[in-house]
Amino acid sequence: MISIRFDDQVKIGLKYVLDSLHVCSPFGQERVRKLRFYAPNERNELEIELGNTERAAAEADRLRALYEQIMLVLCQLKDIRGSLGRLSEGAVLDHVELFELKGFLLRIADLLPLYARMNEAVRVEGIAFFDPTDALDVLDPERTRSRGFYIPDGASETLKAIRAEKKRLEARLYAAPDAEKDAIKAERTRVCAEEETEERAIRKAMCSRLLPHVYEMLSDADAAGRLDLLIQKALFAKAYGGVRPRITESELTLVDMVNPELVDLLKAKGRAFVPVSITADRGATVITGANMGGKSVAMKTVALNALLMHAGFLVCAGSAAIPMFGSVRMLFDDAQSMQSGLSGFGSEIVRFNEALADVGQGYSLFLIDELARGTNPDEGAAIVQAVTRYLNGVNAISILATHYDGVAEHARFHYQIIGLKDIDPTAIRAELAAANEDGVAVIARHMNYGLYRVEGKADCPRDALNICRMLSLRPEILARIEEAYNP
Amino acid sequence: MRTALLNSIGGVKTLSIVGMCKNAGKTTVLNWLLGQSHGRVLGLTSIGRDGESTDVVTGTEKPGIYVPEGTLIATAKDMLALSDVTQEIVYTTGIPTPLGEVVLVRARSAGNVQLAGPSITSQLKTVSDLFFSLGAKQAIIDGALGRKSLGARAVAEGVILCTGASYDMRMEKVVSDTADIFRIMSLKKAETVPAESEKPLGDVLKEHGEALIPGALTDAAVVPLLKSGVMRNVRLVVRDPSKVLLSPDTLEKLAIRNVALETVEAAKVLCVTVNPVSAYGWRFDADAFLKAMSAAVDAPVINVKEALL
Repeated sequence: MISIRFDDQVKIGLKYVLDSLHVCSPFGQERVRKLRFYAPNERNELEIELGNTERAAAEADRLRALYEQIMLVLCQLKDIRGSLGRLSEGAVLDHVELFELKGFLLRIADLLPLYARMNEAVRVEGIAFFDPTDALDVLDPERTRSRGFYIPDGASETLKAIRAEKKRLEARLYAAPDAEKDAIKAERTRVCAEEETEERAIRKAMCSRLLPHVYEMLSDADAAGRLDLLIQKALFAKAYGGVRPRITESELTLVDMVNPELVDLLKAKGRAFVPVSITADRGATVITGANMGGKSVAMKTVALNALLMHAGFLVCAGSAAIPMFGSVRMLFDDAQSMQSGLSGFGSEIVRFNEALADVGQGYSLFLIDELARGTNPDEGAAIVQAVTRYLNGVNAISILATHYDGVAEHARFHYQIIGLKDIDPTAIRAELAAANEDGVAVIARHMNYGLYRVEGKADCPRDALNICRMLSLRPEILARIEEAYNP
Repeated sequence: MRTALLNSIGGVKTLSIVGMCKNAGKTTVLNWLLGQSHGRVLGLTSIGRDGESTDVVTGTEKPGIYVPEGTLIATAKDMLALSDVTQEIVYTTGIPTPLGEVVLVRARSAGNVQLAGPSITSQLKTVSDLFFSLGAKQAIIDGALGRKSLGARAVAEGVILCTGASYDMRMEKVVSDTADIFRIMSLKKAETVPAESEKPLGDVLKEHGEALIPGALTDAAVVPLLKSGVMRNVRLVVRDPSKVLLSPDTLEKLAIRNVALETVEAAKVLCVTVNPVSAYGWRFDADAFLKAMSAAVDAPVINVKEALL
């Protein structure tokens, strides 16, 4: 079963996605809070949910006003499951609880025609509501369908008589001289007690007539939560360009994927997120490149999009083919366990072992960012090489980001950050000379954070040397670096 | 006078009834108002819990709140079982109290109710807005006691201030303390509000001749400036009357130095009621009390034990 730690949800941008959803009902909010990932044996259910989301997203522009009307009704739903539980146990619900049940049923009645219109276009599978009329008639026998809850005089002959007597006494009380008031008040108190007893009997009868509808109301609450989340998934897909992934047996391909959190973050700074493409399969995939953040972003975006699919969301990519995973494990830089006393490296190894045990449970996605980053380069390289070779034999898609040498040739797939590969250093130097700008900012702007697939043996990336050239490091030092590269 | 008073009370959308102490006659005033509604729908709530049939502190029998049919009541859910009106539940607010969620009920018969409304002013505002959207013509808030009642403006346009012998054995003390609260509550509404400033109060006054006091106005801030002479012919504006924490002595000195004390949020005190009978066993001469109180405040003063019965 996939379960993602809270801080991993934050790191990969899943938390950001979930926070961006405007689920309206308590049932929808609960679905987001306890986000459920479909397991490999629930492939049919996932396909149904993805189909619903795809169709709902396709109609989102045309049906925007209708979706908003539905959301407005969903916002008014209150969580009545506690009262329904008490009802099932045979309790007599009080006025306020019956008011809430009536309110819930009225909202469901409001929802039905709206949902029917949505369904004509979207053909939602697996979400249906019961007709609330029978249950409403119990709570509103005179069919006023007013928002309030009131036991009408006509609910029983006895009640009618008691209420008439109460009215009569109140009129007398108003007119009577002070000396008689106490006697009338005492009489009134007795009648009020009778009224309460009779109302309780009527509430009890209502409750036993509601009992057969408890299942329907619980089911409607669940359906409302699913509809709520479905609409938000559709709107999310519209906002970030969602695509329905093809579910594969083992291969993972994401073309032009984006990470919504970074898209928004960069947009705020007037820059754009460069879409990333990657293909991987069972075994180890290694991403290399100079240390500038691009590797982690690529991995986190893979994790986010794979998880979005497992939760029934469309995927933020141009196209996507993703297998179903039994578990998704991530090993990112973990400040927290370092604080807990273990050294960075020690805690990494502990967590790596834990993750491997989990990965053994079924086909998995395993993401490892800069393993052994804290050790010396010789040992670090040896460790990551060994791990990579081992992961080739593990039943998982394992993606490792590393800047150690000699790792990539052990991997089944090797990607490199494009970085400054296609940039002419002389052009940048010219630009730097012309614009009186911070050199680092200029280089960052030209940096291509995309990935390219490396076939065969890779050249050593020369980005660090390129950066030195662009920033006009002293020529005598540059010459010595070049000597070292080509001895 | 009764008609004039009723007109001035009827002229405010939201009315708060506040007391100098327990047993000042708040509930008597409230019941009188409810009795005068003549079919106008009133919305009724309280700041926190009030309306026990026996006063918890003094053990004296208190009058219950008796509402006419049609009244809207906002009270905590647990209080509904202690009310004997025929209930129509019209709204659940989601506002929590120790006695359950605040619920809006329409009284489908006349009867006794127990009030336990919201205790936060923003929630009181929400509730009174709900009253009006449900058709109420006026909202009445059974308000707080003593200094706490100075915050009433945040929710009410008009205030009835209730005082009585229960406050203190000495009539002069009751009258002068009530008059102090009255004066602070009746501060002039500022026509313009000075800009907020980070600088010390003295500098702001020297520069602009007026200042907005962001928090409480205390003796500690005012007395040194009185001594240094800066506090003269200037204007001080507080957010609302509850922010004035000055001693009567300092207030008087400010008046002498021609310092205008004004407030952003001002409520109008529509009348002062007096109850000459104390719950603790003593009583004042009704006429002397009424006369002394009338002389001390610039508002109609009535005796709850006579005028309203």
